[in-house]
Amino acid sequence: MIRLLTVLFAIAFFTLLITQLVSDKGRRSLVLALRSLWLHKLRAMLSVLGIIIGTLSVITLMAFGEGSMHDALEDIKRQGATNIIIRSVKPPDDSSTTRRTRIANYGLTYADYERFLTVNSIVRRVPMRIFPQEIRNLERKHNGRVVATLPEYVDVNTIDLACGRFLNEDDDRYMLNVVVLGSKVADRLFPFGDPLGQSVRLDKYFYKVIGVLRDRMPTGAAGGTSSQSAEDFNNDVYIPLHTCKVRYGERIFIRQPGSFSGEQVELSQVTLTVADMDQVRPTGAVIRDLLERFHQKGNDWAVTVPLDRLEEAERAKDRFTRLLAVIASISLLVGGIGIMNIMLATVTERTREIGIRRALGAKRRDITMQFLIEAVVQTSVGGMIGVVFGLGCVFLIPPLAQWLFQAHLPAQVNVDSIFYSVLVSIGVGVVFGLYPAWKASRLDPIEALRHE
Amino acid sequence: MGAKPLPIARVIGLVKNYYLESVVVRALRGVTLNFDEGDFVALMGPSGSGKSTLLNLVGCLDRPTEGSYFLGEEDVAHLSDDQLSEVRSRYLGFIFQSYNLLAQYTVVENIEVPLLYQGCKLTAETRARCVRLANLVGLADRLDHRPMQLSGGQQQRVAIARALVNDPHVILADEPTGNLDSRTSDEIMQLLTDLNRAGKTIIMVTHENDIAAWARRVVRMRDGQVETDTRTEARPGGLPVPESSPAIQASLGMPSP
Repeated sequence: MIRLLTVLFAIAFFTLLITQLVSDKGRRSLVLALRSLWLHKLRAMLSVLGIIIGTLSVITLMAFGEGSMHDALEDIKRQGATNIIIRSVKPPDDSSTTRRTRIANYGLTYADYERFLTVNSIVRRVPMRIFPQEIRNLERKHNGRVVATLPEYVDVNTIDLACGRFLNEDDDRYMLNVVVLGSKVADRLFPFGDPLGQSVRLDKYFYKVIGVLRDRMPTGAAGGTSSQSAEDFNNDVYIPLHTCKVRYGERIFIRQPGSFSGEQVELSQVTLTVADMDQVRPTGAVIRDLLERFHQKGNDWAVTVPLDRLEEAERAKDRFTRLLAVIASISLLVGGIGIMNIMLATVTERTREIGIRRALGAKRRDITMQFLIEAVVQTSVGGMIGVVFGLGCVFLIPPLAQWLFQAHLPAQVNVDSIFYSVLVSIGVGVVFGLYPAWKASRLDPIEALRHE
Repeated sequence: MGAKPLPIARVIGLVKNYYLESVVVRALRGVTLNFDEGDFVALMGPSGSGKSTLLNLVGCLDRPTEGSYFLGEEDVAHLSDDQLSEVRSRYLGFIFQSYNLLAQYTVVENIEVPLLYQGCKLTAETRARCVRLANLVGLADRLDHRPMQLSGGQQQRVAIARALVNDPHVILADEPTGNLDSRTSDEIMQLLTDLNRAGKTIIMVTHENDIAAWARRVVRMRDGQVETDTRTEARPGGLPVPESSPAIQASLGMPSP
C-alpha cells in the first residue's frame, strides 16, 4: 500500500519534473536554482544540513539493520528453513524416578522416529544421538561431543569437508568404527599430522578417522530472541548411528568427580525436512500433537522450527524500521523547517526580482514553480549528499569497528532505502517549499518592485 | 503620419483609491487620456500627483478602482491577475529607473526573459533576435556580461533591449534617466527617440523638464487629475532629430512608417 503510494508519488513528481524541464522556463529556473546554490554554497549546505543528516542516518541505520537481518537469515538457512528440529530435553529432576534407578529415562524413542513416517509432508528424517564424550588420541584428549547419525545428516546441515569423506551407507550398515572429526577436535588431537587414516579412541573402542570438517559457523545465536544458545559444532565427532547403538547401547553414564549419573536416551535429536516451505509450520503443529500424545509423562522434548525464528527476525526488523522511520521523520521535519526558513528569507531577499519577473509577464504559478524548484533542488542535492555520506559510513564503519573494537558489525546497503530517501528529500522540498513559494507568488508586483 | 490612427491605448475615467487602514487615498480621480500609436508621452507632475499610479495602471501592474482601460480593442481594466500577466508579456515593455536587470543572468539572458514568460521556446532564432537587439542598443560586445559588470547607462540599454524583445504595443518608462548623469541621459533619450521615430509608442514618467522636452507630448498631472496636455512637436535644445536609421527598423522587425 505504502509502496504503491510512493510509486504513484514518484510518477507524479517525475511527470511534473519532465513537463517543467521541457519548457524553457522550467529549465531556466532549474539552472538558476543550481547557480544560486553554487553561489551560496555554505548557506545552502547549512540549510540542508537537517536533510543531509536525516538521509545519512537512514542510509546508515538501514544498512546495519539489513546487515544483521542478513546474518540472521544466513543463520536460519544454515539450520534449514524447511527443517523441523526435535530435541530430547531432560525433564526437571523428578525424585521418584531418579532415586530408584539413578538413571534418567527420557527423550525421543525409535518408536517416535517411526511415527514421524506417518506425517506425509515429511520427506527426510535424520535421527541423531548426541552425548558428551572424551575423545583421545594416545596421550592427547579432548572433551567433545559424539554425534551418532545417518549419512543423510549432510542433507539437513551445511557442512564442509576439509579432507576425506563423510559417513556413508556402508559405514552404517556394517556398523564400522569410523569417525569424522570436527575442526577443533582434529586440531587438538592431531596438531602436527594428517588425521586421515589415524585412530581415535572413544570410550573403550578405537575409530578410524575418515574425514575432517572445516570450521562450522555456530547456529541459533543471531537474530530473534536467544531462546537457545549458539550450538558449536567444531567440538563434534560423527559416528554411524548403528555403530553407536551397538557400542554404547542406550544408556550413557557420565562420571564426574564425586558424582555418577546415567541417562537412558534413544535419540537426542531428530531433524525432519518438509517438502514445502508452506507446510513447515502446520507440520510442526502436527509433530507437537503427536509427541504430546505419546509422551504423556512430561516435557521431555522440544520442537524448534527455524522458520519461526525467521519470522521473529522479520518482526524485529519491522520494529527497527518503524523506529527508524520515527527518527527519520523527526530529522526530516527539522530539515524541512530549515528549508522553509531559508526559502522565506530568500523570498524576502529577492522580492525585487519577483517584482521584475511579474512586470515582465511572469504569472503567479511561474513564480511559485521557480521557488518550488529551488527548494526541491536544495533538498534533493542535500539528500544526495546525505546518501553519499551514508554510503561512506556504511563502507567505513564495519572495517573500522573490526579494527578498533574487534566487533562484528554486519552492514549491507539497502538499495530501496537510497531510492526512498532521495524521494523523501524531494518530497520535503515540495512540502516545505510550497508555503514560501506561494507567499512569493502572492506578492503585489508594484510593492515588490518598490522593495529595496 | 497621415490619417489619425486609432489610439493604441485609451484610459477613460480612471479612478484609483488606496485603502490604508481608515484613510482612503484617492490617487487618481478620473483620468481620461488617449495614447496614439507612435506617440511619445511624458507624464509629469509633483510627487503624489498620481503619475506613477497612472503608469502602473497603464502598465497593467494594477487594476483601477473605476474606469476602463482599452489596450488596442480590448478592455483590460478588470482582467484577472494571470490575464494581466499575459497582457504584460505580450503587449508591454518596461524600463525602470533602477534598470531592474536580473543579476544572475547575462545580458542576453536578461533580454530573453519576457520571451520566456510568453511561453515561447528559446531557439537559435530568438537568440539571434536578442543579439540583434543588443546590437541595436550598442552592447554587441557585452553579451555574456553580468549586469554588475556594466555601467548604469549600459544597464539601462540592456533594459531597453529587454523592453523591445516582445515587440510591445507600448513601452512604459518610469524615470528612465533618474539614476544617470546628464550625458548618459542624453544617450538614453536619444535611443528612445530613435525607437519612437521607428514607430514605437513610449509613455514615460519624469519630473525633469529637459527630459520631458524630448517627448512629443507632455501631460502634467496634479492631485490625481490631468492638469495640462500639450503637444510639443518642435524639439527644443537644438538637437537635430535623426531620421530613424534603416538598421533600427530592421532590428525591430517592423515596416517603415
